[in-house]
Amino acid sequence: MAIFTSTVYQNEFLADGSTDVNAIVRITCSQAGVAGQSGAGDVGEIVIVDTSASMGLVNMQAAKDAAMVAVDTIVDGTYFAVVAGNHRAYLAFPRVTSGPGMVRMDPNTRMAAKAAIASFRADGGTAMGAWLLLARSLFASIPNLAGKHAILLTDGENHNESVTQLDASIRQCLGQFQVDCRGIGVEWQVSEIRKIAQALLGTVDVIPGPRDLPRIFRELIATSMGRGVPDAHLHVWIPQGAQILFVRQVSPTVEDLTHRATPLNPLTSWYPTGAWGDESRDYHIAVRLPAKAVGTEQLAARVQLVAGAAILTQGMVKARWSADASLTTRISPEVAHYTGQTELAAVIQEGLAAHAGGDDRTATQKLGRAVQLANQTGNAEATTRLSRVVDITDAATGTVAMKKDIDKADEMALDTASTRTTRIRG
Amino acid sequence: MTKLDRGAPGVQWSADTSPMTAPTAQATAVDSYPVACAACGGQLGVDGYCTTCGQKARSLREHYELTPQPWVAGVCDIGQTHARNEDALALQADATRAVIVVCDGVTTSEGSDVASMAAARSTCDHVWASDPKGLGTPSSRAAAMRSVLVKAVARANQTVIDHTDLASHNFAATTIAIAVVDSSAIFCATLGDSRVYWLPDFGQPEQATKDHSLAQSGMDSGTERAQAEASIFAHTITKWLGRDATDLMPNTAQIELTEPGWLIVCSDGLWNYVSEAARLATLVGELAGEPVTAHQLATRLVGWANDQGGHDNITVACARVGDHRPAQEARASTTSEAVDTTSASGPTPKHT
Repeated sequence: MAIFTSTVYQNEFLADGSTDVNAIVRITCSQAGVAGQSGAGDVGEIVIVDTSASMGLVNMQAAKDAAMVAVDTIVDGTYFAVVAGNHRAYLAFPRVTSGPGMVRMDPNTRMAAKAAIASFRADGGTAMGAWLLLARSLFASIPNLAGKHAILLTDGENHNESVTQLDASIRQCLGQFQVDCRGIGVEWQVSEIRKIAQALLGTVDVIPGPRDLPRIFRELIATSMGRGVPDAHLHVWIPQGAQILFVRQVSPTVEDLTHRATPLNPLTSWYPTGAWGDESRDYHIAVRLPAKAVGTEQLAARVQLVAGAAILTQGMVKARWSADASLTTRISPEVAHYTGQTELAAVIQEGLAAHAGGDDRTATQKLGRAVQLANQTGNAEATTRLSRVVDITDAATGTVAMKKDIDKADEMALDTASTRTTRIRG
Repeated sequence: MTKLDRGAPGVQWSADTSPMTAPTAQATAVDSYPVACAACGGQLGVDGYCTTCGQKARSLREHYELTPQPWVAGVCDIGQTHARNEDALALQADATRAVIVVCDGVTTSEGSDVASMAAARSTCDHVWASDPKGLGTPSSRAAAMRSVLVKAVARANQTVIDHTDLASHNFAATTIAIAVVDSSAIFCATLGDSRVYWLPDFGQPEQATKDHSLAQSGMDSGTERAQAEASIFAHTITKWLGRDATDLMPNTAQIELTEPGWLIVCSDGLWNYVSEAARLATLVGELAGEPVTAHQLATRLVGWANDQGGHDNITVACARVGDHRPAQEARASTTSEAVDTTSASGPTPKHT
């Protein structure tokens, strides 16, 4: 059985009249077990590969190799399917036209799936909404799947669908399955793919080159197979009269969950968190309370991770009003750290968007602030990525200038990595 | 500490451990285990906070109330400024007899909240079970009671030691005040500065025993009470229960009951604000303006001490004596006579 623990980092002391409580709740899972074999029910895995014409010979071959590695990595007994996507979505394996669209992995189905993958040819356009909808139907064709995960590889923009069409498809897939998205080359849109990954509780990243593809697919599937807890929700209870200012996942990546709240009862909202393996995630919770008398101690939020009816762990966010300024003026280092990291992600994305729109003045200002924040919060990875896009004169003050020739791949790498956070130092 | 918080033994201690301590029905009936939030009435969560308003529930160690009989009640409260309630209260009573024990754990010692509770509970149960009659005469009964109380204090010391962390560098320490009241007399013993007051309805209010404190030492050598008790050393006690106790001989007293009145046993959390017996009697007169129950009076005295600042833990036990037995006739006769005959001289505590 998976073991969950939670730790709350906060300064619970509030000055007289103060109302806002900020806390970082770290939830850690260990002994999660293997997906589909932890007693929590069967799981399904779908590999979605872009087979549009732009993939070309090299990327297409790499994608085929990678898809085969992915099939090799899927644990026997797991329901699986392989989807080939261009301007339409094809069920490459299993080759069925009705009934269940997924089969259990075993040596025979693995071999047959690899034979199907070997026949992929790069041709046609790109319609990712259609790929997602097919994956949704395939998962739905197997009753009672406890965990549903897909990996999606693309190399280009979603030319064959409008933004509205893609958004509608994403909406239909919300809560149905998780997708980790990867882009190869420099022709795909980070914001487009990030939109899919964020909505469907997955990750987004660049694939540096075709040779990295098989390794990355193996890692993605292995991570997914290590998620023995197929689905869990974050429940946030606040006291009567209080208000949730925001709920964000802040580690390993920044994801604002505030707007994904579903009310459970008048005081409790829940947020999807997807499947859990052996990992730890940090959540930043901000609650506004009615101010109470100095000396009062109360709970500002109960933060629970829940699977089905089981409360896996609970973190308690507290509030204590005090007249002692030496207590109330302290800021939790964790809260400060993640507040900085959240702003870092935002200014990187805003800076790159301004640059893409030709507004280098705004871009320089935003990316300068990003350099300053990365420096302050000790995010060396972000500093390195930023230094490939801007020339840094002084990191402490955020004095930078846009580079003359920016490699598109570096810009995309900075963009996709923008939401990745570091843990606090020390 | 944890065990006390969860299991709420502070309010139903003797139910099954010592069946010989008779009035268990009444004692266990007084179960003040909190189930509703004090702030909003909402349901308390298992995590100790209200599920509606989030208010932290006071654990029973922080505040508990006992009413073993309508005429005997007590409240033990953390006060306003201390982080922990190191006071402890234990009561046993039936229709005519009661045992009251108040302990005040020394804040600067380690684990004194645990030790004070253990000492109060075990002493109360022990004294309740020991009801010596002596040779049948009042004086021989008094001598036997005094012996029981002196031994009970020594026994309480062992209980404190049993609940002391021997690895500690600062052994748990506590005061103790024991009062036994029945239809004819009050017997009491104190060690440290927890007090027993007898406030007869008409006679002279009395502090039954002297404190073991530097303030009392000052008064004994001629310093005025107000001055002695204002000294920064006033609260330094000269005798206590604990592993490093040097002298376990309590001050004892016996008060023959001739009229109704209030018996008050309290920690310094109350008497800090109202030390003189006469002032306490006036306060009780004000708070008990209309007829009150023992529980109401104890609650009001603790509330009043909290209103004065609640700078220490506050424990107050009250027993309404003399209303409900033969003494009632005595009261009726005294009241129908003249007030001046009864107010002239109250019973005199015997300091030994």
